[in-house]
Amino acid sequence: MSRAEAFSEREAAMCTVARMVEDGKTYWVAGGGTPLYSTLLGKRLYAPMAQYITEDGVVAPEPSLPFEPMMTMVASRSAHRALAWGTMNSAGLDAQLGFMDVGILNTLQVDQHGNINSTALGEYDGDHRRFGGPGGADTIAACCWRTILMTDQQKRKFVRQVDFISSPGYLDGSPGARERAGLPRGTGPWRVVTPWATYDYLDRRLRLIAHAPWVTVEDILNECEWLPLVADEVAVIDPPTEEEVQILRAELDVRGQTTDAAGEWIIWDGERYVRGT
Amino acid sequence: MTSVDSPHRALKVLEAGEGAFHPVDVDGFREWVRDHKDRSLTPRLMTEREAVERFVDDGDYLAYDCNYIMRGPNSLLNEIIRQKKKELWLCGKFTYVDVSLLVGAGVANRIDCGFFIAAPNVQRGVRDGSVTIHEYSNVIMTLRLRAGAMGVSFLPVRSFGGTTGFVHSGARLIEDPYTGDPTVVVPALNPDVAIVHVNQADIYGNARVFGTGIAHVESALASRKVIISAEEIIDTEEIRRNPGLTSIPYYAVDAVVEAPHGAYPGTCPGYYSSDSAAVMEIFQAIRSDTVGEYIEKWITPFETHAEMLHARVGVAKLLELRSQESIREGYHP
Repeated sequence: MSRAEAFSEREAAMCTVARMVEDGKTYWVAGGGTPLYSTLLGKRLYAPMAQYITEDGVVAPEPSLPFEPMMTMVASRSAHRALAWGTMNSAGLDAQLGFMDVGILNTLQVDQHGNINSTALGEYDGDHRRFGGPGGADTIAACCWRTILMTDQQKRKFVRQVDFISSPGYLDGSPGARERAGLPRGTGPWRVVTPWATYDYLDRRLRLIAHAPWVTVEDILNECEWLPLVADEVAVIDPPTEEEVQILRAELDVRGQTTDAAGEWIIWDGERYVRGT
Repeated sequence: MTSVDSPHRALKVLEAGEGAFHPVDVDGFREWVRDHKDRSLTPRLMTEREAVERFVDDGDYLAYDCNYIMRGPNSLLNEIIRQKKKELWLCGKFTYVDVSLLVGAGVANRIDCGFFIAAPNVQRGVRDGSVTIHEYSNVIMTLRLRAGAMGVSFLPVRSFGGTTGFVHSGARLIEDPYTGDPTVVVPALNPDVAIVHVNQADIYGNARVFGTGIAHVESALASRKVIISAEEIIDTEEIRRNPGLTSIPYYAVDAVVEAPHGAYPGTCPGYYSSDSAAVMEIFQAIRSDTVGEYIEKWITPFETHAEMLHARVGVAKLLELRSQESIREGYHP
């Protein structure tokens, strides 16, 4: 498969997550944006029998693309040809029962134990900037068997400890912390994907396991507020293929609501990938 | 750690959130139902003005289902703004612009947060103390409504534990009296008033929602006062021909308002698309802190939602939004 010659960093992250999508599993995707398009791309190319659920209780839709701006839930196109229509409570309770294999989320800030902040930057009880709150992510992060978190590789987003835990990772990182807080046994964060890097967890701490070809491990560590664990061998992430970016742009996100947004452009200069704008 | 004596196992509260929550009073709610909910089949069709005048009071806890861009009860939300209600406490789940619109209009100052865009006016209110936020999440709020609709005072849930939101909420971590495991419980929510936009209803309030929803049934059953706005008023005979389609039974409902295009500028799935330009306009307004101008353009100059649609949108546009909504299956049983 031919490598893509030019793509945005955000597209690269979506392609990485799309390749993680597996047949026969259920994906609870948060909101719209990168989690939804990653799942759609994964279904389209790699795992047609993966199914997804949205927060308004849509089960396994065959959506009618493209979506109208913002209309990734409740709307007829996003709910089209589903197997069941429910509500937020049906989605939430099915997740409590263990029916949701993987949650895919994005966030403002993540810490070394995979805790997620989408509520407030700064001192909650003092000076802070307010954000939207957890939305559905709290229940996704609590009840899905695994969660994949998407964010950008920036020091202000990769912090030692989030200012506010909106949605739970491994909490303080100690064994059994989630269970002691009342969360379901055997659940928790699984991967963090940024345009530059992929992480897993070792003993409930983030561990760098792969880097994009256009950055070094050092570049990545420079964009972490603390030093994450680093795998003995850090793999190189396969960059997007021409087919992946074509499908993202021409079939899935035709209006460019997600693919156009943010991230630098990565260009193949004939010998290697370089960052350019 | 506090404990309550029990013959079998002491019920232990391991941790308690410090947030205020709308008071829970299950027997008080039952008595309200006994004394105020009309179980006779009496017509309750009225105008949006009358419904909001009679059933929305200053200081009420307000739950709306879906949101301003997705089958939201916008004709009622706009009327609440026109009537300048005060100090509403909002069930701010699954929300993009509604919270900022209502805060900007000066009608709401307290929010239970599931999700909403924290626009500059809300940021300012939080800083100067004029807006108070209590922390939950979307599903936790809908489960609180579920508990409210069950007539119980709290519900064990499997999420929310360990979060900072928990600390700023009315949740508790208890030792489960049956398993001994740590378990999060959240207080039931019985709003003072719920407003829900539905596809069809009869004049008594038997209401049908055909698409997905957030917690429309729970909101209606859990709330002391309930206003339904409906795209179409249908004959009760039609309800009786297919009772399985009734989402909300009449006795939960206090007022029914006929509101064609009642979710404009949002979508009512299967009936009409959102008006993308108008949707972008309200997003722009809340982000650029010009909610007041938005309200002066779209809401306050008009007596009714219908008048706004006629004057500001026009029949041609409304028909276009109807034809743009090409997917009909599932919404026209």
